[in-house]
Amino acid sequence: MAARRGLAPVIAGTLAVGLAYGSAFLPGGAPRWAPWSMVAGIALLCTGVMALGAARPGRRLGRMVWALVFTFIVLVVCFGLALVLPATEGRGSRLVLGLPLRAALVIYGIGWLPALVLPAVYARTFTQLTLDQADLDRIRAARRARAAP
Amino acid sequence: MIPLVLVLYFVIVATISVWASRRTRTARDFFVAGDGIGIWTLAIAAMTATLTGFAFIGGPGLFYSLGLGAVFIVLPASLTNSMAAWVLAKRMRLLAELRGVITVPDAIGARYRSPTAQGLAAVAILIAIIGYMGTNLLALGIVVDAVFGTGFGWGVWLGTATVLAYSVSGGILAGVYTDLFQGSIKALASVLVFAYVLRLEGGVGGLSRVILAHDPAFLTPWGKLTPLAALSFFFVFGLGALGQPHVISKFYMLRNPLHLKWYPALTTGALMLTLLLYFGIGLAVKAEVAAGSLAPLLRADDATPQFLLHYTPVLLAGVVFAGVAAAIMGTVNAFMNVGAAAVVHDIPIALGVRVSNELYWGRVATVVLTAIAAVVARYSGSLVAFLGIFGWGLFASTLVPALAIGLNWPGATRAGAIASILTGLAVTLTFETAAYFKLYSFPAGVTVSGLSLVLSLLVFFAVSVLTRRQAADVDPDITLAMEV
Repeated sequence: MAARRGLAPVIAGTLAVGLAYGSAFLPGGAPRWAPWSMVAGIALLCTGVMALGAARPGRRLGRMVWALVFTFIVLVVCFGLALVLPATEGRGSRLVLGLPLRAALVIYGIGWLPALVLPAVYARTFTQLTLDQADLDRIRAARRARAAP
Repeated sequence: MIPLVLVLYFVIVATISVWASRRTRTARDFFVAGDGIGIWTLAIAAMTATLTGFAFIGGPGLFYSLGLGAVFIVLPASLTNSMAAWVLAKRMRLLAELRGVITVPDAIGARYRSPTAQGLAAVAILIAIIGYMGTNLLALGIVVDAVFGTGFGWGVWLGTATVLAYSVSGGILAGVYTDLFQGSIKALASVLVFAYVLRLEGGVGGLSRVILAHDPAFLTPWGKLTPLAALSFFFVFGLGALGQPHVISKFYMLRNPLHLKWYPALTTGALMLTLLLYFGIGLAVKAEVAAGSLAPLLRADDATPQFLLHYTPVLLAGVVFAGVAAAIMGTVNAFMNVGAAAVVHDIPIALGVRVSNELYWGRVATVVLTAIAAVVARYSGSLVAFLGIFGWGLFASTLVPALAIGLNWPGATRAGAIASILTGLAVTLTFETAAYFKLYSFPAGVTVSGLSLVLSLLVFFAVSVLTRRQAADVDPDITLAMEV
């Protein structure tokens, strides 16, 4: 049952996304909180799915927890700031790495930061958390046992 | 020059397919490359299958029209390969090790001990790929016509014949090694094009200033979309990536499972480099049109051709056009393979039949499915676009719950898997058809794909909980693959 570790956020995230979609059917269209519900749902789903995949019976997630926290924070903070910061885009806007601040948060924060961090965490924790030679030997022994008459 | 580059490209593809056809002796070679490919080939082939011609033509055009909101389609690329690695790659590769599974529905059948779930997943895949292949062959016809002046009709048939030749002879083995070549071209071409983007108006900052002076809404985080609509793109294309069979079935092909360690780094890196073209051309063309250096586009899809013709050397334009053809052909090849496997492997298993010579019939099925898709592309008019639209969503809503969640959650049940696949099929087909015939449309910000994915997930959880006594009905070796 250890693999259920990520299930609660996955279910909560699905419900939050469903709530955002459902609210769009209300008279007058989607309320102001609908994008927030969608952001919460996306962040919970992404981190929950990763935790669900990484969890193994009898093993702690270890450094992987930091990757989950990082992903959740990046998604909520960058999307959240894009939602709450005032829309100042226009002639003379201050640019961050060539883009207006809110666009830069989305493009560099969400579009690039996870691409730099998550593959590194995956590779670094691979043997400890994902797969090693002993695991592979167990699988191959099970295959031989299944094939035996 | 451009036709010459494309001809050279087709000659290289033909050489690879001749080489691969000599090494394709069994159904396992044809469908999963005999579990014999290396991690670089897997990573580039997965990237190539992910990015269709849309990333080179439709995507930059959409960015030109919608602004930053269009980037939300590819924004999840920074996360999706790592997510897929954690949740699917190891489990699927271990299932191939244990059971010799060769298709995505195979994995679903083994996980739930259910030929019915396997058959339903195969039917969903088959419905989705006909439309997907049709739209890709249509795009290939446009590219062949644009470069060689063959006319659209002959363009479709010539493009189809080329991709069919290497797919039938060499199966997925030809496909993945062609993808390695094609993917490398795509990534290189994108980086070079982006270098030319940076020479305009002093780089990204200069381009942004020009746009902000004329159309500030373009560079708001959501572009011309509402926040909910842009975030909905992120949800559908982020989570939905875990259910794309033409990409995830490639996990079966890796020679050494321990090399999966490098999968997210290599695939994400290749994807990010290739997507530079999507972002760069969309931004540059908008700025150049705003500055009056380029005439306003008649069609948004002209963004890439116009940029290439005006701002890059002809040789690079030729390489990018070859890259577009490569993107389309790589995706079509992957669809052919997945569709043929559904016809000769998964659906017969669901019906209690075993096809005796899967290699031969796999080749026959590849020809038949491709012919159907080509006819749809050539003669169905607007229907092909409709069929292409729901492909991604149908894959996502029918496969993400049963496969991506089900392989990692011991509480998932056979009834939950079947109910979620049926929900994905019913919701997607009903509402997409209603939208096509203008009988009903969802409010702004809601997509059929997104809603269908949410509903199939909720049904999956609810039915699994209600039938939780079935949860223990899993073979011991499958439990081992889920726990390792």
